[in-house]
Amino acid sequence: MNLPLKHIQSLLHRLITAPSGVAEGLAVERSLPSGGLESVIRGDDRLSPEERVGIYANMYFYRLLEILQEDFRATAAVLAETRFHNLITGYLIEYPPTEPSVIWAGRYLSDFLRDHPLRNEYPFVADLAALERATIDVFCAADAPALDAAAMSAIPAERWASLKMRTVPAAAILRAEWKVADVLRAVEEKRDWVVPTRSRLRILVWRHNSLVSYRELDDGEADALEMLRRGATFGKVCEVLARDVPEERAPQEINRRLAQWIGDGILTLVPPKRRK
Amino acid sequence: MVEGGRALEVLAAVRDRHPIVMHGVSLSIGSTDALNRNYLRELRALARRFEPAWISDHLCWTGVGGHNLHDLLPLPYTEEVVRHVSARIRRVQDILERHILIENVSSYMSFRDSTLSEWEFLRAVAEEADCGILLDINNIFVSAFNHRFSAQEYIDAIPVERVVQYHLAGHSDHGTHLLDTHDHPIRDEVWSLYEHAVRRFGAVSTLIEWDDNIPEFRVLAEAAERARQIYVGIARDGADHHESSAQAHPESAPSAHHRA
Repeated sequence: MNLPLKHIQSLLHRLITAPSGVAEGLAVERSLPSGGLESVIRGDDRLSPEERVGIYANMYFYRLLEILQEDFRATAAVLAETRFHNLITGYLIEYPPTEPSVIWAGRYLSDFLRDHPLRNEYPFVADLAALERATIDVFCAADAPALDAAAMSAIPAERWASLKMRTVPAAAILRAEWKVADVLRAVEEKRDWVVPTRSRLRILVWRHNSLVSYRELDDGEADALEMLRRGATFGKVCEVLARDVPEERAPQEINRRLAQWIGDGILTLVPPKRRK
Repeated sequence: MVEGGRALEVLAAVRDRHPIVMHGVSLSIGSTDALNRNYLRELRALARRFEPAWISDHLCWTGVGGHNLHDLLPLPYTEEVVRHVSARIRRVQDILERHILIENVSSYMSFRDSTLSEWEFLRAVAEEADCGILLDINNIFVSAFNHRFSAQEYIDAIPVERVVQYHLAGHSDHGTHLLDTHDHPIRDEVWSLYEHAVRRFGAVSTLIEWDDNIPEFRVLAEAAERARQIYVGIARDGADHHESSAQAHPESAPSAHHRA
């Protein structure tokens, strides 16, 4: 027969990923040789060619289902087994894995959920999946030296206003329409979850000392952190932090926020540009 | 491969104390897709940072058309595929600036087009690509059952000087076929094959793969000790062929790394 290798691999890929199984994949297959699958794959008295390809098809789906169940524990808990299974069946058709590492397999699950019929029953589930995905992204984001209190104290006070800091790569700000952090925390703590309330908010997800944490931000803190990410000086950030508090309490508020960010390990200094 | 965080932190801590080897599942060396240059660049950067004794991956394909099946799929064993795969291994070795090892996979299907046995194919690829072999003893046992060939004949046909590492693992028995699941104790038949391999290839490094249903550490340590006893016993008998293979691949098989 001597089919080109590319032809064999493409055929097997289609059969292994056929959503309803190898048999249905074969039924709609148009580039099968005239001798059928039997002319490509050997069968024997123990297993037919179709059953042999079926072993790979099962492993493909169930391996990814298991990985995504681990990556999206709260989403899986909310949707329960059958709905999550069906969700992943559809997701893998729309977003088949393309990257060498399975860590990226669930990268688009929250996007997929945004237009999914499940949102009618679980309107918060896309936000929940996005939060869970953010915890993975942050867990393996690049390292950066976190600014500590001693280093901050060593900087002369007159330089603070022009100081440029950034959030570390392992810190993300997520926009959500539902208070899904409560759901994730409940599932992580093995408590019963309740349907979250609707509220436009931003959630900080960050890694410090290898541990990933998350918390809701108020608007002032969220705006300030987003300004930092965009490259604003600390002076400009202070203006935002002072925006919603009486003037006499502004220094206290700025110190409180700064101490919290340093304690959380989410700030890093931008090295000054070298003068030519 | 990730940019940072705990995985790299742990790897760095281990590397500070011990020699390491790097073992991948995503090279897709048998695919008809172009080699993934980004992946190879990242792999090379990781290897430069951690200086592994060697890098290994599987003699298989894992995806096509830009999609990844995240599985180790077998190839048709033909001369044409030997040329295809060995040319790609040579390119990978050029990019990584080192010889690599290729590992035989467990398989559940075989191709009508095959004109070579699996061991002839493995041997031909290793020789044409000038790479080392990571011989997975459990995979030979699993595939021998699934495709009804002789596991001993397989081992006896592999060139001694190419074998740089063994893998041992458990598998699950589904009656009609065995699955390479790394979630059971190593079966006695696999231990016997391992002993046969050590007599032929010598006491090269052995890794026990156990990545699901992970037992108490004591159980794993006992399996490692059993492997050690086998190769120490055989080495004592004077069957240490490994010195010659270490000379053939000095950069990939340090003699100080002989342990389970």
